[in-house]
Amino acid sequence: MRDWKSRVAAAFAARRVVPDADVVEELAQHAATAFEAARADGATDPDAADRVDRLIAMWCDDPAVALKRPKRRSAVTPPSDDRRAWSGTGQDAVYALRLLRRQPGFAFVVILTMALGIGATTTLFSVTYGVLMKPLPWPEPDRLVRITETRQGKEPRVRGTMSNGPYHTWTADHSTVEGVGGWINVASAALAIGNGEPTPVQILNVTPSLFTVLKARPLIGRLFVDDDADKLGTTPRRVVILSYGLWQERFGGQPDAISRVVQLDGKASIVVGVMPKEFAFPDRDTRAWTAWTPAPVRLPNGAMAMTIFSAMARLRPGITAQQATAEGTARARSAPDPGMTAVALFGGNGPAEIRAVPAVDQMTADVRPALLVLLAAVVLLLVTATANVASLQLARAAVRRRELAIRAAIGAGAGQLTRQLIVENALLGIAGGAAGIALAVAMHRALPTLLPSDFPRVDAIGVDWRVLLFAAGIALTASVVCGLAPSWHARRIDLVEALAEDGSAPVGHGVRVRTARTRALIMAGQIAVSCVLLVGAALLVRSFVALLRADRGYDPVNVLTARVSLPQDYSMERRITFLERVAERLRAVPGVRIAAYGNALPLLTSGGFRGFKMRPPANPSIEVDVNVMQRVVSPDYLAALGLRLSEGRAFTPQDTMTSPNVILVNRSFATKYLGARPIGASIPSLGMCRGDRDRWEVAGVVDDMRQGSVADPLQPEIFLPAQQVGCANAVSQAIVLVRTAGDPLPLAATLRSLVREQEPALAVDQMMTMEDRVMRALAKPRLYAVVLAGFAIFAVAIAGVGLFGVLSYSVAQRSREIGVRTALGARPSDIVRLVLRQVVIVAGGGIVIGLAAAFVASRSMSTVLYGVAPQDPLSFLAVPVLLIAVSVIAAIVPARRAARVDPLQVLR
Amino acid sequence: MASTSLERELKRGSAEVLILALLERRQRHGYEIGRLIDERSDGAITFHVASLYPTLYRLEDKGFIEGRWVERSGQRRRRYYRLTAAGRKVLASQRNVWGQFFAALNRVARIRHA
Repeated sequence: MRDWKSRVAAAFAARRVVPDADVVEELAQHAATAFEAARADGATDPDAADRVDRLIAMWCDDPAVALKRPKRRSAVTPPSDDRRAWSGTGQDAVYALRLLRRQPGFAFVVILTMALGIGATTTLFSVTYGVLMKPLPWPEPDRLVRITETRQGKEPRVRGTMSNGPYHTWTADHSTVEGVGGWINVASAALAIGNGEPTPVQILNVTPSLFTVLKARPLIGRLFVDDDADKLGTTPRRVVILSYGLWQERFGGQPDAISRVVQLDGKASIVVGVMPKEFAFPDRDTRAWTAWTPAPVRLPNGAMAMTIFSAMARLRPGITAQQATAEGTARARSAPDPGMTAVALFGGNGPAEIRAVPAVDQMTADVRPALLVLLAAVVLLLVTATANVASLQLARAAVRRRELAIRAAIGAGAGQLTRQLIVENALLGIAGGAAGIALAVAMHRALPTLLPSDFPRVDAIGVDWRVLLFAAGIALTASVVCGLAPSWHARRIDLVEALAEDGSAPVGHGVRVRTARTRALIMAGQIAVSCVLLVGAALLVRSFVALLRADRGYDPVNVLTARVSLPQDYSMERRITFLERVAERLRAVPGVRIAAYGNALPLLTSGGFRGFKMRPPANPSIEVDVNVMQRVVSPDYLAALGLRLSEGRAFTPQDTMTSPNVILVNRSFATKYLGARPIGASIPSLGMCRGDRDRWEVAGVVDDMRQGSVADPLQPEIFLPAQQVGCANAVSQAIVLVRTAGDPLPLAATLRSLVREQEPALAVDQMMTMEDRVMRALAKPRLYAVVLAGFAIFAVAIAGVGLFGVLSYSVAQRSREIGVRTALGARPSDIVRLVLRQVVIVAGGGIVIGLAAAFVASRSMSTVLYGVAPQDPLSFLAVPVLLIAVSVIAAIVPARRAARVDPLQVLR
Repeated sequence: MASTSLERELKRGSAEVLILALLERRQRHGYEIGRLIDERSDGAITFHVASLYPTLYRLEDKGFIEGRWVERSGQRRRRYYRLTAAGRKVLASQRNVWGQFFAALNRVARIRHA
C-alpha cells in the first residue's frame, strides 16, 4: 500500500507550500480512493498511480488549497454568552485597527477630511467664543458697561464715545453705577529714561476712576488718585503707571522703578506703579498709562470746552444697563450746554442721550456679524466634511456587506455589528479629532499675525478646556454620525442577499441601490452646501474688490506717511518752522517728488472738528449750524496726498499771515452749505486765533475724500493753510507725507533721521506707506473673504471628490447593466450620457437647493457687504456654472470608464 | 476564446451550486462529492475534480458548509461536509437567481437554457 499522505505532502513541499495537516490527510484519502477506483476500472498499477500523481499535481497548482483551513470553529461555537453592551470593545478596537491598517488610503482621507473640518470649526469657535462670549478679564465683568453718548440720535465723530459734560455731572452724583472711568488715546509719547534715547511708547490717558471701575490692582506701587490728574483736562503727565512689559524692558523688572523719574515727550513724570503681567487695557499695544481728567465744560477763562472720549462704568449689583442708561441720560440734561462745539463733534446740539451697553457687546460690535457668518459657514463645512466621511463609510460598508453578513451569520447581533462600526468610527474620530486639534493649535499660534491688528480681544483667543471640549464634542458627534449611516444599513443586511452577492449573480441590487441613493442624497447636500459657501465667498470677495477699487478721493500709491507728536508748549510758529525744515530737507532727497505736512491723514487722524454758525450765500437770511472736519495743511498737502481740486485754486506758499485768509472746502461742504457758486464765499470766525482777522474766503473746492472706511458717510470738510493758522493746538500732532517716484518705504529711515536732526526729543511713529494703511484698513474684509473662500474651496473639493466617488461606485455597480446595454447596441456616447444624466440630477438638485438656501442666507450678510447686493446676480450666476464645471470634471473619468466597459468582461 | 471563458465562469458559479445541492439531503465526503458531480453532469459539465477541494474550502470559509472528521468502525476517518443554515438559504436563493438569470437572458437575447 502506497503512502499517499507523504506523497501529497512532498508534492506541496516541492512547491514550498505547507497546507494544514488535515488538508493533506483529506487529499491523501481522496488520492487513495481515486487510486483504488482506477485499479477497479482495470488500470494497471503504474497507470493508476500516474493518474493520481497528476491529480495531486493539479491540487498543488491551485493556490486555494494552500490556504490554511479556517481555524475558527465559529460555525459550531455558540456566540459568546457575554452580551453586556460594551464587552469585547477592546477586541473591536483591535479588529478595527487591523482593518484600517489594511486600508491606509481610506483612513488617510477620512482622517484628513475630519481634521480639516474639526480644525477649522474649532479655530473659528475659539475665535468666536474668545471674542464675543468670553467674559472680560476683570472681576465681575458682566457689571461692566460701555458708556456712549448721542445727541438727537447723532453719533459723535469718534464712534462709541461720550463727552465731558455728561461725564462730570454723572460722576459727581450717581446711584445706578459704582463709578465711571474714561480714557482717551493719545499719540504715542517719546519715553526716555535718564539720558537714554527717546523711543515712542503707546500711552493711554485714563481717569483715576478707571482702574477702580475695572477693579484692577497694581503689581507694585499704587494706582492713580484723583489728585494725580489735572482738573483742566490738560495732560501734564506728572505721574505714570507702567505695563509689566515696559517695566521689564526698561527697568529690568527692578522694584526700584517706583518713584523713578522718566521723560515723556521731554517732560518729567514719576513712575507710581506697575500693572500685573495679565493687565492689558484697552489692548496689549498700550505700554503705559497717565492720569487725566476730562476738562470741565466751562473753563476758568470763560471758554467752553468739549472733549469726547471712551468711557466705562461698573453697574451696582442688581442694576441693569437700561437703568444706567436712564440715569445717565437724566444726569446729562443738567450738564452745561457746550454750544457750537457740540455741533462740531456730534453734528447737532440737541440734548445728550447716554447709553450703557454691556462692555463686551460694544467692543466687538463691528466684528460680530462677520464672525457669526463665518461660524455658520464653518458649521456647514463641518457638516459637509462629516457627510463626506459618512458617504465614504457607506461605500465601504457596501463593500463590507459580506464580512458583516458572515459576522451576523456566526452569531453577531445587530447591536454587536453596530458597535463594531461605532468603534471603528470612534477610532477614526479620535484620530481625526486629534489631528484637528493639532491643526487648531497651530492655527492659534498663527492667529495673532493672521488677524488684523485692530481685531478686538485677540488676547482672549486661546485653546483652553472649553475649546478642547468643543473639539472633542464635535469629533465624537461627527464620527458617530458617520458611523450611524453604515450601521443602519448593516442592521438591515439580508444575509442571503449579501452572501449571494459574492457570486456572479446580479442579486442584492436593491441594497446597493439603497446605498447608492443615500450617497446620492448626501452628494446633493454637499453640492448645496458648496453652493451656499461659494455664493457667500463670491459676495465677500466681490465686496472686498469693491472696497479695494473704491474711489477714496486720494491716491495712496507711493506715499510714505508718519506722525510726529508735538509737545503742548511748542508755539505755532515753532511747529511750522520745524515742519517746514523737515519738509525742505525731504524735498532735497533723491526720489522725493513732494514733501508736505498737515494735522490730518485718512485712516489715521481726522485733524479736528469744528462747529460754527454761518449764513449760506444762497439764503443769507437764515443762520445754519455747520459742523466740519478741519484740516490744517501745508501748500503741497493736496498734491502729496493726490487730492483732486475740482474748482478754484490750491494753497500756495504765498498764503501767509499777511495775505488774505483763504480756505478750501470739500465737495460735500460746498453742496451742503455754499450752493452752486462756492468760490469766493466768505466763512466767518473759525476760531483760528487770528483775532479780528478771523474771516476766510473759499479759494477752491476739493473732491470728497474718505477719512475712514469707504462705507462711512461723507462729511463736510475744510482745509486751512498752516501758515495762516494762529492756534498751536490746531496742529497738536503733525503728519508728514512724502510722495515719491518709486517705492517710498526705503525713505523711512531718512525721514526719521531728518526729524531727529531738527528736534532730537521728538519721536516719529505710525510710519507707514499710504497703500499699507489702506490695506490694513481692509484687513478685516480681506480676512473674511479669504476665510470664507477657503471654506468654499474646501467644500467644493470635498464635493468634487465625493461626486467622483459616487459616480465611480455607481458605474462599477452598473457595469453589468452597461455591458448589456453596450451588447445590445448602445454607443459610448449613449453610455456617457447615462452617467452625465446622473450628474445632472445630483448636481442640479444640489445647486437648486443651494441657490435657494444662499438666497435666504445671504440676506444676513448685508451688514458685511460693500458695493455688492446680497442677491448679486453675477455671484448667483457664476457659482452654478463653477459647480457644474466641477461636477462635469468629476464625472469625466467615471463616464469614460463606463463608456469603455467591455460587455464580454462584465457579462461572463 | 470569449465564449470559453464565459463558459468557465458559468461553471465556476455552477460548481458551488452543484456542491450545495449535493449536500442538501445528506452529508458527504470529498471523494463522494467529486464522484457524484462527475457522474451526474455526465460530460455536459466537465467538473474538474482538482478544483473540488479549493471550492469546498471556499464554501466552508464562507460558512455555507461545515466539515468535520467522522470515524466509523472498520473505515478510516473521513471528513464529511454538511450544509449549514446559511448554505441552505444561499442554495435556495441561488436556485432562484439562476432561474431568473436564465429567464432574463432568455428575454434579452432570446436564447434557451444551455
